Amino acid sequence: MHVVRPRPRHRSPLLAPLVGAALAVAASACDRTVQPTEALPPLQATALDADAGRWGMLVLSAPDQIAVPAPAPVTSDAYRAELAAVRAAQAAITPAQRANVEYWSGGGVLRWNQVMRELVARYNLPPAPRPDGSYPVPDAENPFADPSFPFANPPYAARAYSYVSVAQYEALKAAWHWKFRHGRPAPAGVDAGVRALAPVGDLPAYPSEDAVLAGVTAEMLKLLFPASVEDITRRAAAQREAAILSGRATASDAAAGLALGRAVAALVIARARADGMGGAAGTPALWQGLAAATAARGEIAWESQEAPARPPMLPNFGAVQPWTMTAAQLAALDPPPPPSTGSPRMREELATVRRTVRNLTRDQLAIALRWNDGAGTYTPPGHWNDIAAEHVRDARLSEVRAARVFAMLNMAMHDAAVACWRVKYAHFNPRPAQLDRSIRTMIGLPNFPAYPSGHSTFSAAAATVLGHFFPAESTAFARLADEAGLSRLYGGIHYPVDIEQGKAHGERIGAHVVRAARGPGAF
Amino acid sequence: MAGIPVAWYREGAVPPSPRPPADATRGEPSPLVPVRVSPSPSPSRQRRASRTPSRAVRVRRTVPLAALVGATALPAGAQTLDDGLMIPARQLRLGVTWQDERWDRYWEGTRRRENGNIGTLTTRAVVPTLGYGVTGRLGVFAALPHVRTSASAGVLQGMRGWQDVTVGAKLGLLDRRVARRATLGAAVLASAAAPASDYTPDLLPMSVGLGARRAGVRGTLHLQDRTGLFAEAAAGHTWRSTVRLDRQAYYTDGRLVLADEVAMPDVADAMLAVGYQGHGLCLPVMLVAQRTRGGGDIRRQDMPFPSNRMDFTRVHARAMYVLPRLPAIQLELGAARTLAGRNVGQSTLLSAGLTTAFGL
Repeated sequence: MHVVRPRPRHRSPLLAPLVGAALAVAASACDRTVQPTEALPPLQATALDADAGRWGMLVLSAPDQIAVPAPAPVTSDAYRAELAAVRAAQAAITPAQRANVEYWSGGGVLRWNQVMRELVARYNLPPAPRPDGSYPVPDAENPFADPSFPFANPPYAARAYSYVSVAQYEALKAAWHWKFRHGRPAPAGVDAGVRALAPVGDLPAYPSEDAVLAGVTAEMLKLLFPASVEDITRRAAAQREAAILSGRATASDAAAGLALGRAVAALVIARARADGMGGAAGTPALWQGLAAATAARGEIAWESQEAPARPPMLPNFGAVQPWTMTAAQLAALDPPPPPSTGSPRMREELATVRRTVRNLTRDQLAIALRWNDGAGTYTPPGHWNDIAAEHVRDARLSEVRAARVFAMLNMAMHDAAVACWRVKYAHFNPRPAQLDRSIRTMIGLPNFPAYPSGHSTFSAAAATVLGHFFPAESTAFARLADEAGLSRLYGGIHYPVDIEQGKAHGERIGAHVVRAARGPGAF
Repeated sequence: MAGIPVAWYREGAVPPSPRPPADATRGEPSPLVPVRVSPSPSPSRQRRASRTPSRAVRVRRTVPLAALVGATALPAGAQTLDDGLMIPARQLRLGVTWQDERWDRYWEGTRRRENGNIGTLTTRAVVPTLGYGVTGRLGVFAALPHVRTSASAGVLQGMRGWQDVTVGAKLGLLDRRVARRATLGAAVLASAAAPASDYTPDLLPMSVGLGARRAGVRGTLHLQDRTGLFAEAAAGHTWRSTVRLDRQAYYTDGRLVLADEVAMPDVADAMLAVGYQGHGLCLPVMLVAQRTRGGGDIRRQDMPFPSNRMDFTRVHARAMYVLPRLPAIQLELGAARTLAGRNVGQSTLLSAGLTTAFGL
């Protein structure tokens, strides 16, 4: 897991410098490169999951909704020609191609999850203000402009992670169905002249799971991050090339996989286009209506603390379609309203924030920074994908089972985002720095209402789902989720009640997703 | 060298700089700010204090140690690690410099902008310095800035703390008469620096420093005419260690890095100065340039990051004065302005310093 490494002890200001300076020359000579974590060794899945073609579907009506015609027999001339092409390609392999095979051998689901986190971090930047103090809106039809499209903020990211993960999961279940229906072995298993440059197991090769993933993922990512179309396309092509060079697939295995992946993506994209995201940003009339309604209830309404004031982040995201339940079911899990802004309870909450930031320790600051996940990062949902990735890797799950874990995790976080955003805008509660101008934050102040804490909701939902898949680690996940929540108090941007209620809300959502995953027709 | 300021973004050789800039905000979804930092000046460099041997000798002689100690605080001087001058043998210099550096515009990559969530970023530093002439040709130096940052707008908290301790040694290589009317000096300097406290470099431009351990080398030429006019040139290179963050992933320079360590590019810097020295005064005017040998730009509306490509060109003027009646004490005033930059603030720096010399 994402290791939460203990911070090095604070050294005394006098000694450290002397020792440190003495070591600096040596250090600068040798301590200059970075070892990335989350390395992915070649994936040797512990199970085939041959029954995955019978697992419940989410978007597709059935695993065979998209037909994959029977391949040419392995004894056919056409197939023999494909084998010869694999042998020839392997004989001429370049060092760069070998590195590419190695890269993708770590598992397509895990690799694409890393890529997706990178894309979110790349686009998670709010528009810069214009000289007149207004803010331009990212335009999906002109994604390369300034501001680029999208602004991959936490709700956008939660939804994006979920769509890609669900599409991969659906496509791989369909692929598993056809693989075991057609039963064509991998080239390295049929032809002694084809080497296995990456692990080649007993999984039937037609359609190629690598090509399915390349096809479905590239289509989803191009929809969500259109300005990175070149990067996405190159990566998908590299994955398909690796499938063939590694001895896992022939050209027809890859072609069938690509076609299946793209067809599944088209079905999932149709859902995405109708899920309500298009109206999530709202309108100036809506923003003003929120403030007016809050004032009419006798409460202090949230105001942007940015200069110039920025419209609130996605006020209508709460109307986006959830994955695992209806909007009414989701609403039934809502937390109670926050304390009134004029109540003694709220004054206490505010005093706690003030006291905390004024007496912040270095360890608390480290927690605030560890979970900041603000602009320019992969967001809190990305952080939980980061945490999940190392567990998925270490468990050596098959591609389809790995996709299942990420789909459940990301559906839960998408639903948590929808639920949390709806509650935030129902109450339109001010941040601590608005109610007390003397409060200064350690980290950037999110530009949307306080109650409840999104970090807490995301994290509790994620920890609940991950605890279901990795029960031995459930306590550790819960501890991380608690830390994520507390980090917002340490940062000076949330009241304790935001964190408590967000956590409880996230746990309810996570528990619902786990129940759905267990029940009849489980996905 | 000249005294250069130390801003956080200034990694150049020796001078310890006081503070790195802070970064600004890093926040959440909101954008905030990017910020960068500007350079701050480095503290002290009072370098010239000792410029001419004759004066130096005089200084040394007069210093009643006890008096100084009693006086306190003092400091003195600077020697500068960067200039071509040497501290007289067995002379100890203690100094302190106060700096105030501000910017209300910064370069986001190459785009100059303002930021309503920062307003004016102010970095104040107090920099104690120490120098000692081991022999007439070998001097050692140390400095440790204490830095404090604040922003005039927005909600971000400023930070404060001890920045990086720098130690260095300077070796005089040349001291030769030229054309019977000038003296040419040359020196090489090696230095090392390391954070002196557990500050985070991950909150630029509020952070007090960039967090890297550093090793630098620098060469200096100094030509002094008998009329008091002088010219100086220096160039340096700094290697930096990785920096550790409190988080497990970061995006910079076009990619997501899944690690809590950041590789820091090398930094090159150069300085040209002309000035006058005489009658107890030293008045250099310097043009200083820093170029970071790699690193990414601040993205549009993003925050600064420790490994950004922080470049600047600035002009820096200083006035140093040795009190006629207390020749062990040197006063200094300085001002600098950043003319051009990339991923740094367009800052204005004012500084004042006091250096005391004692013979041991």
